[in-house]
Amino acid sequence: MELNEDFSNQSVADLPKLESQPMVDISPKYRRLNLLVTSIAVVVIIGILSAIRFQPFFELNHGLILAYPFSVSIVFALGVWSFVYHFFADPLIGYCLREQDISLKKGLIFRSLSCQPILRIQHVEVKRGPLMRLAGLSALHVFSAGGALHTFQIPGLEDDTAQQLRQFILDHKALSEGQF
Amino acid sequence: MADAVLHRDCYFSIKNIFKTAQTLIYAVPALAITANVTDMLASPLSYLVLFGAVTVLSVSGLVSFLMYRFRIHNEHVEIRSGVFQRAHINLPFWRIQNVKIEHPFYYRPFGYSVVVLDTAGSAKEEANIVAVTTEYAEALKSQVLSHQKSETSNTATSEAVEVEKNDTSHLNTLDETVINRRSIGDIVIHGFTNNRVWILLGAAAPFYDTLVERVGGWLTSKGLQLDQLVGEQTIAWWQFGLYAFAIVMMLMALLALLSVGGALFTFYGYTLSKTADRYIRRSGLLNKQEVSMRATRIQVVSAKQDWLDKILKRVNLYFEQNASLDHGAPELMSSNRLIVPSVTVEETATLAQEVLPDCNLYRDDYRSINRRYIWHCFLVGLLAPFAIAMTIGIVGQHWDVIAGTLAVTAAIAGIIVLRWWRWGIAEDGDYIYVRSGRVGIDYKCFQRFKVQQVVIRQSWFMKRRGLASVKFIMASGAITVPFLPEDYVWSLINKTAYSVESTRRSWM
Repeated sequence: MELNEDFSNQSVADLPKLESQPMVDISPKYRRLNLLVTSIAVVVIIGILSAIRFQPFFELNHGLILAYPFSVSIVFALGVWSFVYHFFADPLIGYCLREQDISLKKGLIFRSLSCQPILRIQHVEVKRGPLMRLAGLSALHVFSAGGALHTFQIPGLEDDTAQQLRQFILDHKALSEGQF
Repeated sequence: MADAVLHRDCYFSIKNIFKTAQTLIYAVPALAITANVTDMLASPLSYLVLFGAVTVLSVSGLVSFLMYRFRIHNEHVEIRSGVFQRAHINLPFWRIQNVKIEHPFYYRPFGYSVVVLDTAGSAKEEANIVAVTTEYAEALKSQVLSHQKSETSNTATSEAVEVEKNDTSHLNTLDETVINRRSIGDIVIHGFTNNRVWILLGAAAPFYDTLVERVGGWLTSKGLQLDQLVGEQTIAWWQFGLYAFAIVMMLMALLALLSVGGALFTFYGYTLSKTADRYIRRSGLLNKQEVSMRATRIQVVSAKQDWLDKILKRVNLYFEQNASLDHGAPELMSSNRLIVPSVTVEETATLAQEVLPDCNLYRDDYRSINRRYIWHCFLVGLLAPFAIAMTIGIVGQHWDVIAGTLAVTAAIAGIIVLRWWRWGIAEDGDYIYVRSGRVGIDYKCFQRFKVQQVVIRQSWFMKRRGLASVKFIMASGAITVPFLPEDYVWSLINKTAYSVESTRRSWM
């Protein structure tokens, strides 16, 4: 009997385990970018508020003057929260590309790991916003038939890595076989 | 064939005149008011304007009819339409997911219909072939479907395909068997059970006035005068409230009736039939509707039973397909969900097995989710409002506030407990089953290999307790089961990923 070399049939007890796969961290630039953007946004918003509060051109409504310290502290608190979150959460984002699927883990308090079989991918996009372009980063968006709500996104990849991942997915034989 | 073409053209124009008429109907109130206000009818100019408008509309209908062309060529459907903004749709047969035949009431006496071709893509790519004879529509449908059946062996025929009617209609009817019918009684039940909130509120109507008095008295004791809110009118505020409630009540009765009417309208003469590889739903009182779904494209079978359904021992069964097909169509009309309305529990089991052989929705080995789910809901959702309301009650010594808070909290807690109790998951070979619900129960079953993406999620607290939530993302939507043992979730996910990746079976 001739053996089919392509055929592999692992026993179910010995399934490849997602929980023990090594994860690759995304670029550390991603955290730096987020921290920078948060800081600048807070400074700019507080700056605008203060400029309006202390400008000499017209008299402000009494209510607005009272609201000033509150709005500044709210903006500041949100900024600090966002800063702290990105500081701790961004280094936890990691992905793993296996032969048949791509996984992403993320989250600080709510940890999640999603696994997208390459066979089910409908199309791939590499997205780069203006700030990300400045930092030399890209995000990989992977779409399946699960709908736009469940788009699989890996943020903060180095441009080259994102292109390589995209190419790997496009060249994957699961997709070129014409399956969906 | 030339004769048929002529007929078709005739009916395009009828359709367009209908369109025009519809446009006019919307304009009539506005015109009437304008006429009334400005006393335009007196001037002969208004008749001229009216005549001009009618002419323009008719001509535009005629022109758009003249600009509408379609052909079936080389296994493609091509449609050119539009006057100023020309659209050219070119739709290969293999991209067509669903073929629906609709019979608008104004076509029915003449045996004409509309063919709606659904694609997996966006709504813009959906194609309508209007005003073709029903025979032609059936023939076209079976041609598209038979093309899909023999996708691999079929090589494109190069000549323009004029469908041979006899051949295909014969094919269409021969291997089609009806597997479910709904009687008028069933449909009336469906109408009622699908608007159950209204019925509940309507049934409580006799108690409305006493309820209003009680609430009003209570509010007054708190120093809040509703009279002031309603305004100083000649009638007492409670009378006003009563009137309002009476009106609401009547509206609700009307809505229940409307619901039954709507159900009859949509589902009258319901049949679910089966051909070699698809399921076809036909129903409708005035507009005969037809939804056909390929068996392999069914992602999830779900059996939904709300509390009123439970009392009447009925189930709404859905065969769910790719959700991206839903172009915002109303639920009952949409082609991505094939509904079998208000079937009995036995019929549900049979129909589910028809679609997913050997599946067993009503099994007794559902693995319940962990009891900590209840605590989670309490802590995350309920604790803060409860604490605030209780503090207000205790500090101000308002015993009624305390009692109210306790009652509401108890009710919500009851629902949370029910939800925990219902939620469960089971596996059986290729199938995964999920049971959920609060007062009612929903059962879902899907094949492992059709999953698009799997997600495991756990908070820091869940991690400490060895718990995790799992989410299966299907083409028809996501299915979540929270608070399962972590090991079990990992094994589920690994098995699912393995099943998808190793079988390489298509989800479509």
